[in-house]
Amino acid sequence: MKTTLQTQLKIGDPDGFYEKLLDAHRGLSDEQCAQFDARLILLLANQVGDDRVLAECIEAAARPFARAAR
Amino acid sequence: MPDDHALNSSVRSATVVTGGTYELPVYPFTEPAELRGERLRHPVVIVGAGLTGLTAACDCALRGIPAVVLDEDDTVGVRGAASRGICYAQKSLEIYKRLGILDRMLAKGIQWSVGRTFAGDDEVYSFDLKKMQTHSVSEQPPFINLQQFYLEWFLVERIYELGLVDLRWKNRLIEIAQSDDHVVLTVTTPSGPYTLEASWVIDCCGAHSVIRDKLGVQVTGSKIPDRWCISDVRFEREPPAERWTWIEAPFNENRAVWQHLMADRVWRLDYQMPADADPEAISRPEVVADRLRRQFGPDVKYELVWVGPYAYRSLCMDTFRVGRVLFAGDAAHVMSPFGARGGNSGIQDADNLVWKLALVLEGKAPERLLDSYAVERREAALDNIRITNRTTRFLSPPTAVEKRFRDAVISLAREFPFARGFVNTGRLSSPTRYRQSPIAAGEHAGVHVQNVALTLPNGARGDLVELLQWCDHAVLGFLYVDLDGYLARELEGLEQRYPVRFFCVQTEEGRTCTFPTVIDDEGKLTGQLHAAPGAVALVRPDLYLAGTLDEPSAADLERALRKLLAIE
Repeated sequence: MKTTLQTQLKIGDPDGFYEKLLDAHRGLSDEQCAQFDARLILLLANQVGDDRVLAECIEAAARPFARAAR
Repeated sequence: MPDDHALNSSVRSATVVTGGTYELPVYPFTEPAELRGERLRHPVVIVGAGLTGLTAACDCALRGIPAVVLDEDDTVGVRGAASRGICYAQKSLEIYKRLGILDRMLAKGIQWSVGRTFAGDDEVYSFDLKKMQTHSVSEQPPFINLQQFYLEWFLVERIYELGLVDLRWKNRLIEIAQSDDHVVLTVTTPSGPYTLEASWVIDCCGAHSVIRDKLGVQVTGSKIPDRWCISDVRFEREPPAERWTWIEAPFNENRAVWQHLMADRVWRLDYQMPADADPEAISRPEVVADRLRRQFGPDVKYELVWVGPYAYRSLCMDTFRVGRVLFAGDAAHVMSPFGARGGNSGIQDADNLVWKLALVLEGKAPERLLDSYAVERREAALDNIRITNRTTRFLSPPTAVEKRFRDAVISLAREFPFARGFVNTGRLSSPTRYRQSPIAAGEHAGVHVQNVALTLPNGARGDLVELLQWCDHAVLGFLYVDLDGYLARELEGLEQRYPVRFFCVQTEEGRTCTFPTVIDDEGKLTGQLHAAPGAVALVRPDLYLAGTLDEPSAADLERALRKLLAIE
């Protein structure tokens, strides 16, 4: 099956986004960071909105851990 | 409760006793012919007069099968007034319309439209089903709430009214053995044991089926460490008639609580308990009272109708057919109660099975048609188990990570409608699409066809279920073709050789047709059948699409019918 995952950069200002992402975590405890990330993931997932793309993102993100999880 | 005056009138020789605060019928034990030394071979023996068994028995009665039902008890409900299922979904209501008890269910049951979901002290969100867009085209409502024993009661009375099926109360199965062409069952009764024979047995014994054990059949299951306690109560001052769900209830140590209304103004309160709670301790009246005071305030006045602690498993048999024994309902599959999928799937098991069994008994289909029951309903059971396990995972997050994602869902759901879609307090039972069906006979096979409104061949307004009743529960063939004299004669030939009845479908009154005509003036039927001009759609007696064929010849249709009936 052909992948639909976007592997090229689509974000106009990557440095700006990255900075905002890090700043948002600043001052939060590890637990709060984890909670923030969970909220962010769900919000972003809904912006993507495509079941297949979401499944591919989960798979791609899990790749480094695939062996450890088995 | 006796306020339903029609309830007792048709119970043959039944007396009514008080169980808890309900009054329940007690049915008489009658000595069966076998106890007088006769050895009889019955076409169908149904073991267990619960929801699944009684639904199957009622369908047998309608289709002319003189089935025997064995039940160890002599009343409805499990152990008296134990209310089990409380919610019957649309497909079940369509089935009960066909079986003839829907009006009583609607008269007795409760419909609610406003639901509220809480976490902590605040409401997360609410909805009103009346204001929500629905994709349903069925004539039946999406669900009704009703204590299971009422439904069983209506079924028993309907079976007595139909008069063909032999309900044997106080008959407990103790042995079962089968050979190639029949099954032998040994039963104990107050007048001693006896043996009877059956061509086919339907095991509706429930989760702890003896038949499964006696036949040495495998079940695969897993225990779920989640414990709940039901309190059914009647209040002096009633809460609003809405369905309230707490994912985290502050008055229940931040565990889940369900609050919904059933018939007779009885409220079901279902409390999630610690996984290691002692079932006896959590159901003591003083402990129940304490929970109610914490939820409704110190002065709450109520009458306790029933208390029932429970845990649940998920369990599914590897096959639902072992020779001449067919497994249905909880005997075949067990799941958590979320979404009311247990009872509703047992009802659908019966609906799927009995038309096939009737055709096999009439010699119109080979025995292997019953394998399609096993495949289709096992697919549905696995689907239901997967869906209910997702709810369990939301309501009892097993790890810190899963709890954190749930917290994220709850916090987002307060602000944003999209996140409410992740809040999973149960997904109401809906018909599974049969993708693995061995009797798929065309495009879109295995899709459920809702009970839509139609103008019937006699010109009266009716619906698909009434059309089924009108043609004696045959396969329905809907014609969107231009009929010439040759094709019409060929189709008449098919009607003589197979249990099918053809209907012309028109969108308005007008043209005449060789076959009885239904008018689909709102296009609801045609939409569900995915029928374009030139098509013929075959609908099974359980209102599933057997397949839609594009411009078929009579030979194509015959092949489709033979596939549907497992003839080849």
